[in-house]
Order: sequence, then C-alpha cells, then structure tokens
Amino acid sequence: MPVATTHCVALDGARGHLIDVQADVSPGQATVTVVGRADVALREGVDRVRMAIVNSGLRWPATKRTTILLSPADLQKTGTQFDLAMAVSVLAADGQVEERELDRTAFIGELTLAGGLRPAVGVLPMSLAAQERGVRRVFVPEPQADEAAMVSDLDVIGIRSLSQVVASLLGEPPPEAPPVAETSGAHLLSWRGDERRDDLDLADLRGMEDEKYAAEVAAAGGHALLLSGAKGCGKTSLAERMPTLLPDLTREESLELTALHSLAGVLDPGAGMVLRPPFVAPHHDASKASVVGGGTGRVQPGALSRAHCGVLFLDEFPLFRADVIEALRQPLESRDITIARRDELVTLPAGGMLVLASNPCPCGAWTAFAGTNRCGCAERVRRAYQGRLTGPVADRIDILRNVQPASLASHDPFRPPEPSAVVRDRVAAVRDRQARRYADRPWRLNAHVPGPRLEDTWPLTRSAQRLIADEARRGRLSARGVVRVQRLAWTVADLRSVRDGRDHEPGLADAETALRLRAGLPLDLAVLRGTRGGERRAAAGSGADLAARPDLGARPQSAADAPHAAAPPHRDGQGVA
Amino acid sequence: MSPDDDRLARATISLVAEPGDARALGLTRELGAARFLELLREHPELRDQLAAASARLAGVETERVLESAARRGIRFVVPGDEEWPAQLADLDRAGVLHDRGGVPVGLWVRGPLRLDRLGEAVSVVGSRSSTSYGDQVAAELAAGVGARGRPVVSGAAEGIDYAAHRGALSAGAPTVAVLACGVDRVYPARNRDLLRHLGEAHAVVSEAPPGASPFRIRFLARNRLIAALGRGTLLVEAALRSGALNTGSWADRLNRVVMGVPGPLTSPVSQGVHQLIRRGSATLVTSTEEVLELVGAAGSDLAPELRAPEQPRDGLSVRARQVLDAVPVAAPAPTESIARVAGLAPADVRRLLLALAEDGLVDRAPTGWRLTARGRG
Repeated sequence: MPVATTHCVALDGARGHLIDVQADVSPGQATVTVVGRADVALREGVDRVRMAIVNSGLRWPATKRTTILLSPADLQKTGTQFDLAMAVSVLAADGQVEERELDRTAFIGELTLAGGLRPAVGVLPMSLAAQERGVRRVFVPEPQADEAAMVSDLDVIGIRSLSQVVASLLGEPPPEAPPVAETSGAHLLSWRGDERRDDLDLADLRGMEDEKYAAEVAAAGGHALLLSGAKGCGKTSLAERMPTLLPDLTREESLELTALHSLAGVLDPGAGMVLRPPFVAPHHDASKASVVGGGTGRVQPGALSRAHCGVLFLDEFPLFRADVIEALRQPLESRDITIARRDELVTLPAGGMLVLASNPCPCGAWTAFAGTNRCGCAERVRRAYQGRLTGPVADRIDILRNVQPASLASHDPFRPPEPSAVVRDRVAAVRDRQARRYADRPWRLNAHVPGPRLEDTWPLTRSAQRLIADEARRGRLSARGVVRVQRLAWTVADLRSVRDGRDHEPGLADAETALRLRAGLPLDLAVLRGTRGGERRAAAGSGADLAARPDLGARPQSAADAPHAAAPPHRDGQGVA
Repeated sequence: MSPDDDRLARATISLVAEPGDARALGLTRELGAARFLELLREHPELRDQLAAASARLAGVETERVLESAARRGIRFVVPGDEEWPAQLADLDRAGVLHDRGGVPVGLWVRGPLRLDRLGEAVSVVGSRSSTSYGDQVAAELAAGVGARGRPVVSGAAEGIDYAAHRGALSAGAPTVAVLACGVDRVYPARNRDLLRHLGEAHAVVSEAPPGASPFRIRFLARNRLIAALGRGTLLVEAALRSGALNTGSWADRLNRVVMGVPGPLTSPVSQGVHQLIRRGSATLVTSTEEVLELVGAAGSDLAPELRAPEQPRDGLSVRARQVLDAVPVAAPAPTESIARVAGLAPADVRRLLLALAEDGLVDRAPTGWRLTARGRG
C-alpha cells in the first residue's frame, strides 16, 4: 500500500483542527517532500522522523520518493507534535505497520533522534478536538496520558517511544523504553512558599464582617469586587482567600480550564485535571500580552484566561499599565477575549471573577477615619491616583468595599470567624440555585445574566425596581449600573434564601443591600447575619410571668423560651398600666 | 426594721411589681418597702390600683427565690448596700416616662464587678440593626473610654450594644450589661457567649427578677437604668423610632451628657441621632477625646481642638501673598516683572521678596526669583 492516512491536531488558539497526515511512498527519485503549509519546526520534523525510524530498528524508505501531505492544505500548521503522526503514516505507507483503524486514530508527540518521545503542550484541547471529529483512539506521550484521558469516549494510549507505538499497532508487547522527559520548564520553579495558599482560610481574618459578606456575595454570583483601603488593612489577605470560598469546578468547567492551562503550558502533568478554581495574580508591571493573552508564535492564554472559572486578582490596580486596564474592558462584559494577530483571530474564554485592590493614595496611608489618617500625599496627587480607578473599568465593578484597618476593638472573642468551608457550602448552594434557574441558558451565574432578561424573565419585585429607578433618576447610577445592581440584588436574595431555607424574590431590602455594596456604603449588619429584628420579636405582654409560677427562682434558663408560651392566657399585667 | 427585713421586702416588691413601675416605686420611697407591702396587702384602694402586684403577693416565696438566686451566683443589691450605685438616686427627680420611673427597689446582679465602681461609667447605646460603620465606631469609642479606665454600660443587645461591650473588653475595661429580662436569661440568644463572659468576669444587671421574660415594656424601664448608671450616654446609631432614643431622653432628664455620633445622611439608622443633635439635645462627638471631655469634670480632659495642618503660607500678609502668587514656578523672573504681575511697587516687592526668601518660600537665581518647593506647597 503506497498511501496511508492518519491524524494529528493543529492548535489555533483554543480551537483544534484535526489534520490528515497522509504519506505516499512510491518508486522514484529518493526525496522527501512535505506539503501543506508546514512551518519550519514542522519541516525539521522530517529529519527527526527519519532518524527516529532508523534508530528504532525500523526501515526508512531511503530508495523511494516520500511525500507527506498535511491537509487541509490551506491551514497554517505549526508545532512539533506532528512527528509521531508523520512517522506512523510513512511506516504504514511503506507497509511496515497495518493501516487498520489508522483513520480513526490520532498521534500526538515530538520525536527524538533515538526514537523516544518528548512531551507535547496542549494535549487536552488536541484530544478534545480529535474526539469531536470522530477519532476514537489517541496516542500521546506517557506523561500526558492522564490529561488526554479526561476526554470521554476516547481510547488513550500513553507511550514512551516510536517502537512502542509500532508494537502496539502490530499487537505485540511493548518494548522497554526510557521514560519521557518532563516538559521543559516545569518544576524548575518550585519553592516552599508556593503551596502556602492551600493553608489559607477565611477564619484567619478577624473582624471584616462587612468585607467578608461582600466577598461571599461576589463569590456566589461571580461579581467583580474592588477592595480599597490603606496598606496593611487586609485587602490582599481577603483576596487571596477568595478561591477558598468557591466550590470545586464542575466537570464542564474543569475541562474548559484544564484545556486552557494545557494550552498555556502551565498544567502540572502529575496533577491531572484542574479541579479547584484558580487564583491568578499578575504583578502590576505585567505586559498586556501576559494579562490578556498573545505573545509570539502560538497564542498564549494570558492571566485573564488562566483565571477562567476562578479569580483574577489585580493588586495595586492603579499601578497597572494603562493599556492593560483598557484591554480589560471588553472581557469584563463578554467573558471572553479576542486576540487579533496578523492573520488569525483567536478567542479565548475569560470568565473568571475579577478582584481588584487599590490603595487610596500613592503612600497608601490615607484612611477615611480622620483619627487614623497618616497620609502625607497632596490632595491633587491622591485625586489623580484615584482617577485611575474611575472610568470604564470602575463602572464594570459590581462591589466596592472601603476596607478599614482592623484594630483590637474589631476583634470578637465570642463569635469565632466562620471558616471558609462553611461559607463555601453556602456559596455552592447559591450557585446551585442559579444553575437551576438558568438551566437551559448559556450562562451560569447572576453576574452574567443579560440586562434584557432581567427585565422580561427575572425582574426584581416592583418596590425594588422603584428604588433602583429612583437612584438612576437622581444620577447616582448609570444604565450599566442599574443592570449590575439588579444582578447583585439577585445574588443577595439567593444568599438570603440559602441562609434561612426559604425562597425569596429579590425585594426592597435586597436592592438596598445591592446599592450599598455597589456604592461602597457600610452594610446593615443585622441583614447580613439574618438577625433582623430582636426586641421586635419580644412579646408585647407585660408582667404575666412575674411570680405567677411558684417555681420562678428555679426556672432553668433557656433562650428558646417563647415569652408567649410562658405567659398564662389572662394578661393580668396589663392592668398595671 | 432591720436591713435584712428591708432587703426581703424590697425583693418581694421586685418579684410582684413590674420593673420601673412608677407608682409602686414612688410609694416604696414615700412609705418604705415594708409599709408599702403592708398597705398592698390591706388597703383596698391601693389593691385595686396595683391589682396585678397585689394578686401576685399571695403566692410569692421571696426567701426561696433569694436562696435559689444566691446558689446560682445572683445577688440582690439594695439602696444602703455598700455596693449600691449612688448615682441611681437621681432617678428620684427624673420624672416619669411611659409610666416608668423612680429608683429601683433593688438590682439583681450576676458577676463579680461591684456596682459602686460604675461612678465614672459611660453608657453606649444604639441600634440593633447597626451598620458595619456603627459597629466599628461603637467598638473603637468604647475601647477608647475603657482604656482611660472608665467602665462601659450597655444593654447586651445585638448591634451597637454588642460592639460596645466587645470594645470595652478589648481594652480590658470593666463593662456591665443591663438587661430587660432576668439576669439568668439569655437574650438575645446570639449573645450567649458574651453574657456568659460578662456574668463570670464583669456584671450582668437587671431590675427584673431571675427568670423574667424580655417583654417589650421592660426595655423602657431598663433604658432608664442604663442612662442613670453612666455619667453620659453615647448614641452611635439610632433610627427615628428606637429604644436608644428612649435611653437618650432618660439621660437628658437625668441631667447626664447626651452624645451622638454622626453617620452618613443616607443612613436611616443614623436619622434618630442626627435629629437629637439638630434639636440640641445631644452633642456631636467624633473621637474618644471628645467623649472624655464631655463626661469628665468641667475643664479636665479637654479634647485637643482639631486643626488642619499648618501651611507655609499661613500668616503671610496679603501683600506678601500677592507677591508670592506672582513668582513663577519654573523659569525665574526678575523683580520688575514680578512687580508688574503683582501690581505692586517694585521697591515694596523687592523688600517682600527678601522676606519671603528668608522664610524659604522663594529662591534667588541669577536671572531672578522663583518658588521653592516649600513655596509651591
């Protein structure tokens, strides 16, 4: 059989194209030709393939004319993962392996001259693409087998060398081979502090009840959060703990994110699927390409995409470069980022929640409390600094919190702070509510509900709408702000429903809380704790329990005692007044 | 009549009469506790007027209640005891509000703190539906006055009360909760741990006997005690209709200082406080120092006057300022040009520039004068 066809996958952003790799080995001038828009790295592959075949003890058709076609021929192909597919197609065309089932199989991997395999980047998205295009079996370098195995309905074979592939195709026991090297660069950077985030818990933070509630709402509904406050007041500590409030990723999210991380080459091969929401915190010196994605050669997902389904934290936000801030506008609305290159347009998901932190002034010491203000910045300088927060990005922030420095007096010795796990359970329950509500819609969270749907399908109660409309009429809320407050009110109501186990429509109190969250005003703590009322719950009776029972003094103390239940029916006490 | 008999009689009144019942307390003061009880038993007219109390009188077992209370660490403190807080005597002349008023017949106390140590106390009250701002301010101010050795009195309710106790505790200051229910009751339930701690290390006080329920009317009676125990009452957040305002009016009647912490104009829980300040019934306070100045003896503990930081230009004459405004920032200008811009005589300008240079506000360059960094500020 002079012609054989097998498959590999070319990546174009997060999109994979199934490529037919076809080899023709026929009599003629002894040359090797690769056709089909292959880049330099791919063309060099021919030399790797030839030496790998020879050094694996197989035969290279040296006396024949070999033509390798990568089709569709008009698609620019780049990367080194085609080596294995080329080698197998040549061997099949030369009759050294059976062609049986090759058209339903994809081969991914770069070859060494000795015939061993090197790891490939992006195995998960490649496997996803292959499976979607009808491929049933995929050969990948052994370290990436776990990654590929996340794709359902796909037979994954992890291999170490070309000989093992051939043995497998011939149905023979695989020969010994040295293990595949690690991805270059991985594990080079690993230090003890790297894992410290695993130990973080919300309970580490004292006080900050207001801010913690805001974080819970943000996590539950996927809303963008801005923490503003003097240096050392706990902004970063709170932001770092945001991922601990998020439930584990759903299978769907996990696949999306793992594919992205695979593309970015940051997937730890040993760790398998990404199951926990990521926390990505680029430094304020970061370039636009590193935050939104891009780079030379293959499009690299930026921090924005790596934080998909998790938290993107921009600390010291006003210090970020203007072009980075500007570039955040579009993805904040659309939850994806489109990167235009010379001849390609790549769209990557960017659905993480945004958390920003900002000092109130360049020196970072300004506080709203006159008594503790130690700021030495000129008013003009401070305003300019704050000015960087206003504008297009600020309008897309749902929740603003002015964090006050914690003091001894903010410590509560009687009510230990809630651990992350407790809050996470509530967040998960609120997310379930949203998932049920938006079951057949393309979004999952309140923060992503389109404005028009809030008008026609999920409106707030009439009084809540009136309150928000009133704020808008007074010019305190932009049109975009109105939509964002409505979404926020839904999350506040959902959280309330989860807390007291009853279904609540987003009403006046929820809209009020949402408006306060957005405007940076202090919150009504009784509402947050679900303890509204107090004396109001006390009975209106008077005196009926005094000395009415002979066992008065020995009465066991009980908080649950309903005053009404304890009172005899005749309200004799009322005669006193 | 022996002091023990008097205590017993007072405890009996406490068990049968509604806390703060102005009529019962007034008669006790006029007639003495024992005589009042006697009349309550015998006098038909009085019996009709205080029907509930006299009806209860029949079944009451005061000794048993006192014993059972003592077993649980609850004592009954009466006027004349060493521990009795003398400042409560002012209630005698404070009149009646909502039929509540008068010096209590005694106080039920749980906890080691002696009530006669509350002479310098500050009362802190406010909304149960407090905001995070109110909580923070209440805790900070309570901690502040606590750090200056003053006990903090409050009501152990949710919100501001809770924050006030917490603030005092953070400063290691004594703090007392005055309850509307019996001191053995836990109300509100959320504050169980706070109440337990206060009962073990500080004091929980009530005019109502052990076991009494937190009926609404008892809060009105309780509020007058909070106001009377402190040298002044600090309102942190209070809505237009709130118990904290009731405490404030009692403080006013008792000639105690009433202080109010302002809040955002948009906050409904600050409206009551703002109204008191507007009416002149409360003094606006913004810091611990200002609270201490008001509750301290006249002339002592004066709070420092708040001033904006001094600017280099402060204290310059009008003409000197005119000259300073005319001096350029970057490129130096000669005296004549500055005089033209300032609209003053060159000779005056030269003299003023020399003086300004001495103050370090302007700088002489070879080509003229310009502002220094200090002069630009």
